[in-house]
Amino acid sequence: MRVIADLHIHSRFSRATSKRIDIQEISRFAEIKGLNLIGTGDFTHPKWMKELQKDLIEGPNAGLFKYAKTDNSVNFMITGEVCTVFTFRGETKKIHNLILTNSLETASQINGRLARYGDLSIDGRPVLEMTAPHLVEEIMAVSSENEVIPAHVWTPWFSVFGAFSGFDRIEDCYQDMTKHIHALETGLSSDPLMNWRLSALDGFALVSNSDSHSCWPWRIGREANVFNLAQFRYDEILDTIRKKDPQRFKFTIETSPAYGKYHWTGHRNCSVSMPPQKAITFNSICPICRRKLTKGVEQRLVELANRPAGYKPQNAIGYKHLLPLSEIIATVLGASSPSMRNVWRIFNNLISQFGNEYKVLINASLEEMSKVVNPEIAEAIVRVREGNIKVIPGYDGVYGQLRLFEEEKTSAGINEVPQCSLTDFM
Amino acid sequence: MTDAKLLRDMFQAIAILIDEATFKLTPDNIQLRAMDPSRVAMIDFLWPKTIFDEYECDQPQKMCVNITEFLKLLRRTAKDEIIELTLNPETARLQISITGHYTRTFNMPTLEPQEEETPTPKITFKATAKTTTEGLRQAIEDAQLVSDHVRIEVDTEKLTLNATGDLMGATITLKKNSDALLDLQTQEPSKATFSLSYLAEIIKAASATSEIATLQFANDMPIQIDFHQPKEGKLTFYLAPRIEVE
Repeated sequence: MRVIADLHIHSRFSRATSKRIDIQEISRFAEIKGLNLIGTGDFTHPKWMKELQKDLIEGPNAGLFKYAKTDNSVNFMITGEVCTVFTFRGETKKIHNLILTNSLETASQINGRLARYGDLSIDGRPVLEMTAPHLVEEIMAVSSENEVIPAHVWTPWFSVFGAFSGFDRIEDCYQDMTKHIHALETGLSSDPLMNWRLSALDGFALVSNSDSHSCWPWRIGREANVFNLAQFRYDEILDTIRKKDPQRFKFTIETSPAYGKYHWTGHRNCSVSMPPQKAITFNSICPICRRKLTKGVEQRLVELANRPAGYKPQNAIGYKHLLPLSEIIATVLGASSPSMRNVWRIFNNLISQFGNEYKVLINASLEEMSKVVNPEIAEAIVRVREGNIKVIPGYDGVYGQLRLFEEEKTSAGINEVPQCSLTDFM
Repeated sequence: MTDAKLLRDMFQAIAILIDEATFKLTPDNIQLRAMDPSRVAMIDFLWPKTIFDEYECDQPQKMCVNITEFLKLLRRTAKDEIIELTLNPETARLQISITGHYTRTFNMPTLEPQEEETPTPKITFKATAKTTTEGLRQAIEDAQLVSDHVRIEVDTEKLTLNATGDLMGATITLKKNSDALLDLQTQEPSKATFSLSYLAEIIKAASATSEIATLQFANDMPIQIDFHQPKEGKLTFYLAPRIEVE
């Protein structure tokens, strides 16, 4: 059975999230997206936990749950994210970790333990004063069926490889608990191709999730994991990830890493962004305001990479680059937001014709789509599927911008810092 | 030296670009060449020993100081006070004595000198303009009213600054042999665009040390600005151009 899973989202109890998020909305939009497994997010938050206990029932798939008031195909896995804050060799480290568990009882037990390290009611993504290995120890002490996955491992802040408070090696962060780390979440600003450049990551499964802060289809499921399972159960999903089994872990769905908010190095206030080599030229200092640039994922990754670009290790799990359908439609229409009514109208036409968003993005033919929508939109969807688009890279919290129909020569360099370095003339 | 203000003004000009400066001290002069941290601008400075009332240096050596900290001390000087700087290589400390109505002596640590030599940009300039620093400063301030960058163009008759902002634009023209543009030698017309924040800060600070500046240009190349100094001293800035986006 094919399972498309987004295991990392947030509830309305996390900071900077949509206030409309509840189990009903998640279930509804996950089905529209084509996800049949989604994380609950935020199980550590007491109020959200109460909603989970009220709204979820154990489904036919062991260790997974369904929304009690619907019979749609969406299953829920109990998941949450916590931020561990600790000092390592005199430096403050802030590391985000995704937690998976297979029951509300084990989730409650985890909460009982974690409440000793921070106030779980303040934020759906609580800040805990404990080391990352200590977190893993506590989680695994509850059940060996729990899993801790370092979250969005390359983002500049709050991640294991982050440029500002991260480490150079997984082992330095998780110490003796590294043995329990089986997977890494690559985050929006990197994809497997980039991560394959580090041989040290070969032993980890690379998973992809949305880390969504709303239920909208241009947020949830924008990154996901595609499994082919004999049995749709928590333990089989866990076993597939832990064994990094290419027979069952088919591929990940990735946005273009340039679409992510931290792909290039840059400075939002000065509208300055640049690729790694240029950032090195400027000594990672903003040439406009002369403050430190926010180092992007690509530059950070290049610093740690020990393989050339394009290298693919043996037994690597594959990936597909896709982009949210609403974003594609909005870009073609020139709409200011994917939430505009005219975008929704076309989106809904496609969903009603093809079943869900992933079917549109991955399977629908150009001819079939052209019968339903403007052929330019149909062509744009095919271009995204085939990787025949340009994305102006995101930087310092600014999302990348799609350029669906531009030739390479016209889009290259757009949004780069319009400043030369003196070293260009030496 | 008896003119502490001159020293203070020069260090203020240096501080525009760099926080930590490695000076080369030789028996004949004191030199500094360094780029700002983002490597967009460079300062190339030399004072011969004749600038100082007394100057002693037996052998070449390097001295790195935190310019911001040094300036804090220099700001305590009045115009005609005498300032004496003494480097003790053994303790790696710089002693600063300021004498006016009374004497105060400070000392500060020096830093690890930068060993790497910084080359100057390789540019074949096509035009040279001699301006008053005051005229140049005023022109840059005019351009700053409308934009954060300026295109500087020279032909055989004039130097033009074009600034284009989101709402407003400005064209400032300095004609050859006018009060502001004292001379203009043009092999071929040239133009390049520069960040106004860099230009304004450099020109404002360096104007305190000089009344005349010589600007050299080539198409889309760094600009070189020499601020004329007494007694064969040198204060030169280079600034990399911006990329023109049509």
